Amino acid sequence: MDLPIYYTRAEYIETDTGNKVSRRATISGPQNIILGGKTIIASGAIIRGDLRRTGPGHAVVISLGRYCLIGEGCVMRPPYKTYRGNFNYYPMKIGDHVHIGANSIVEAATIGNHVEIGKNCIIGKFTIIKDCAKIADNTVIPPNTVVPALALFAGSPGRFIEDLPESTPEMVEAQTKQYYTRFQPLPAER
Amino acid sequence: MAPKIEYYCPCLSESPHPPPPNLPSSSYSFHPLHNLFFCEECDAVRCNRCVLVEVSGYYCPNCLFEVPSASVRAEKNRCARNCFLCPNCRNTLTVVPSDPPENVDSRTSPIVSTTLGEPPFFLYCNHCRWDSAEVGITFEKPTGLAAQLQKFEDSAPESLEFERLKEHFEPFLRASSSSSTLPSASSHHVHTNPITAAASSALARDIPGVGKYNPLSRSRVGRDKAAHRQEYPDYKSRVEIGSAAALSGEADVEFLRHLETVSEVAALEQRWTNSWVSPLPASDLKPLRIPLQSKKSKRCPSCRHILIKPEQKAQSVRFKIKLVAANYLPAIAVTLPHAQAAIEMLKRTSKSASAAAQAEEQQAAGALIAGHSYSFHLAFTNPLYDPIQIRLAKALAPVQTAEGDAAAEAAERARRSTFQIQLPSAAFPVGAFAEAWEYDDEDEDMFLDDDGMEIVEARGKKGKDGRGKTRSVGIVEKRANVTIVSGEVLIPKEARGDVRFNMLVSYTYRSDDPEPSEEAGVGTPSRSHGTNKAPEMKNFSFYTVVDLGPIMYREEPKLTADL
Ligand SMILES: [Zn+2]
Ligand SMILES: [Zn+2]
Ligand SMILES: [Zn+2]
Ligand SMILES: [Zn+2]
Repeated sequence: MDLPIYYTRAEYIETDTGNKVSRRATISGPQNIILGGKTIIASGAIIRGDLRRTGPGHAVVISLGRYCLIGEGCVMRPPYKTYRGNFNYYPMKIGDHVHIGANSIVEAATIGNHVEIGKNCIIGKFTIIKDCAKIADNTVIPPNTVVPALALFAGSPGRFIEDLPESTPEMVEAQTKQYYTRFQPLPAER
Repeated sequence: MAPKIEYYCPCLSESPHPPPPNLPSSSYSFHPLHNLFFCEECDAVRCNRCVLVEVSGYYCPNCLFEVPSASVRAEKNRCARNCFLCPNCRNTLTVVPSDPPENVDSRTSPIVSTTLGEPPFFLYCNHCRWDSAEVGITFEKPTGLAAQLQKFEDSAPESLEFERLKEHFEPFLRASSSSSTLPSASSHHVHTNPITAAASSALARDIPGVGKYNPLSRSRVGRDKAAHRQEYPDYKSRVEIGSAAALSGEADVEFLRHLETVSEVAALEQRWTNSWVSPLPASDLKPLRIPLQSKKSKRCPSCRHILIKPEQKAQSVRFKIKLVAANYLPAIAVTLPHAQAAIEMLKRTSKSASAAAQAEEQQAAGALIAGHSYSFHLAFTNPLYDPIQIRLAKALAPVQTAEGDAAAEAAERARRSTFQIQLPSAAFPVGAFAEAWEYDDEDEDMFLDDDGMEIVEARGKKGKDGRGKTRSVGIVEKRANVTIVSGEVLIPKEARGDVRFNMLVSYTYRSDDPEPSEEAGVGTPSRSHGTNKAPEMKNFSFYTVVDLGPIMYREEPKLTADL
C-alpha cells in the first residue's frame, strides 16, 4: 500500500470543500480563481488569477475541478493574445482529477478530466488537452497544440507517442483520490 | 525502482506456463493489469498483442474532425483541413499572413486570426520558427491549404506511378473480389482480401518458384487457379526505374559534396513519415498534412467477441463495450516493508535534502542485500461483488533436461546461488467490492495507518525457520475488499541479478453463469448480482511475474573496484 504524504498542518489552509492550499503558494487574484474541492495547491505554486480580461465586472480567470493537484513550484498563468489589435488574457479551465507535476508551467486554454501532466513541463499558450491525456515529464508543448483524448505526449516539441489504455479514466480517478487521502498532516501534530 | 508485478498473457507461447522471468524475452509476455482485456466467452486474459484490432473511426489529432471513411481514402489518410506538421520539428504549423501584427514582442508567436492580414499567407512553426516561404510555399488565401498541398503531393512521380498501378490492377481486383466476397465477408480476419489474392497470384505468375500464398483450404486453391488463368496485360511503368534512380543519385552526390554541416541533410525521422520519396536536403522539406488517427475496436482472437468498442464521438473516453481484466482479476500491489519504513524515516529526518538526493537515499535504504532475507507484502484488491478465496503458488522452474553429474552439480550450484521465495500456503479471503468503498476514501480510518506494522506482529503466523526471527508468512491485514499477505525472500550471499519470480494466483469466485449479459456497457456481467440462482463456485488461475528489484552487496567500494 502506498504511504501517506505528510505535510505540516501549519503550512496548509483547508477549505470547507476540502481544498488544501499551501501558505507558501502565491495565489494572485483569489476572487477570480475557482477550486472544485479536494484540490491541493502545493508549496511554491503560483496561480495568476489577477491576469484577467480587461473590462468591468467579475471574471473567472482560472477554474480547477475536483481532486486536482498543482505541484510544487508550478506556475499557472492564463493565456493571452492580441486579437484585432487588442491585448487580452483568456480564461483557463481545468477539469476534475488533473495532476500537474512539480515545476511545470501551464498556459493552457482548457485541460479536460483525468489528465496527468508530468514534472518540469511547459504547456504553451492556448493548448487544449482533452480527457485522459498524459504529458510525460520534461515535455514542451508549443502554443496552440491540441492533445487528443487518451494520448501520451512527450518530447520537445511534445509529440504523440502512444495510445493510453482504455482503463485510463478509472486508473487516474483512483490515483488522484488516493493521492488526496494520502496527503495528510504529520501524525505528531494530530 | 519500486517493486512491481505484471500479469501473464499466454498468447506468445505454446504452453500455458510462462517463460522463466530471467529471460529478457519474457517481458513481452507480461503486462500491467490495466493493459489487459478479459474475454468472458473464453474465460481468458487477452493482451494488446493478441487482440484483433479494427478501425471504428478516423479523426484528425489536431482539429479533432471526425473524417468519414469515404473521404479518408481520397484524402490519403491525412487531414484535409488546415492541419500541417512542421517538416523540421513535427510541431503543428500555424497559418500566418505576410504582415505580422504590430506591438507584439518578438518572443510571442504570431497568433493571429486568419480573417486578418495580407496575402500571401504561409505556414509558420512557433516552436522552431520554420516557415513555408523558405521552401517557396505561399498561399493567396488562408483557406483550403490542404487541397493545394495535396495537389502537390499527388503530382509526385511516385504517386502517379502508384495510381497507374492501381488502375492497371483494377479490373483484376474487381474480378477476384466478386469471386471471393463470400469468404471475406464472413470472416475478414483470414488474410484473403482481394488485394492479397491478386498480389500473390501475380507474384506466382511472374517469378518462377514463388508459391502462391494460400491461407485457406484446398477448395479455394481450385478457384484461385481459375482466376489465375484469366489473362491481363503486362504493366508498363511511367518512369524507367533505372533512369529515375540515376537522376536523383547524381544530384544527391552533388549535394553531399558541398555539404557543410550534417543538419543540412534531412534526418531519417524527418523523412520517414512522408508517403513518397522526400528530398535529401533539409532545406527542401515540405510541410506535411497531419496523418489521421483512428479509434479502435478490439476483439478476442479466438472467439471474435468484442472486448473494446469505443463510442462514436472521437474525443469521448467512454466505451460501449469495455471488458478489461481489471474488472475480473484481483489487482495486486507489491511493497517491501523494510524499504517503506526506511523511506518513512528519511522523510521525517531529512527534510531539507533535494528531491534527487532523497530519491537516491530511498533507493539505498530499500536495497535488497545479498546474504539477507526480507519480507514483502502483496496487497490483493478484489474487483468482484462477491468475496473471493485466493491461493498463491510459486511457479515451478521448467524441468531441466540435462543429464549427468556435471549438469546436476551445475543445477545444485545454481540453486545455491538463487534466492528462495516463501509464499503463504493457505488460501486467504478477499472481501467483496462494494460501490460504497469507493466513496470511503475520505475516511482516514480505512487507510493503512501506522498501526499496520503492529498487526503484522500480532496476527501473522510466525515463521518457523528456527532462527528466532519474527518474520511472517501469511495475512497481514484485511479490510474492505483488500487483503494484504506477506511472503519472504531469502537471498544467499552468492546471489546475483534481480529478485524476480513467477507466481501463480488461483482464486475461486461465485459464478453467475449461465445468464447471458446483453446489457453491455452497464457494468460488467461478472459484477452483477445473480442472487436468484444457487451459487456455483468457479476457479480461475493466472500467472504473474513479481519483481522485487536488484540484489545489492554490502561491500560497495569493492564492487566499484571490480568494475
Ligand atoms: Zn496476448
Ligand atoms: Zn485536421
Ligand atoms: Zn518546427
Ligand atoms: Zn474469446
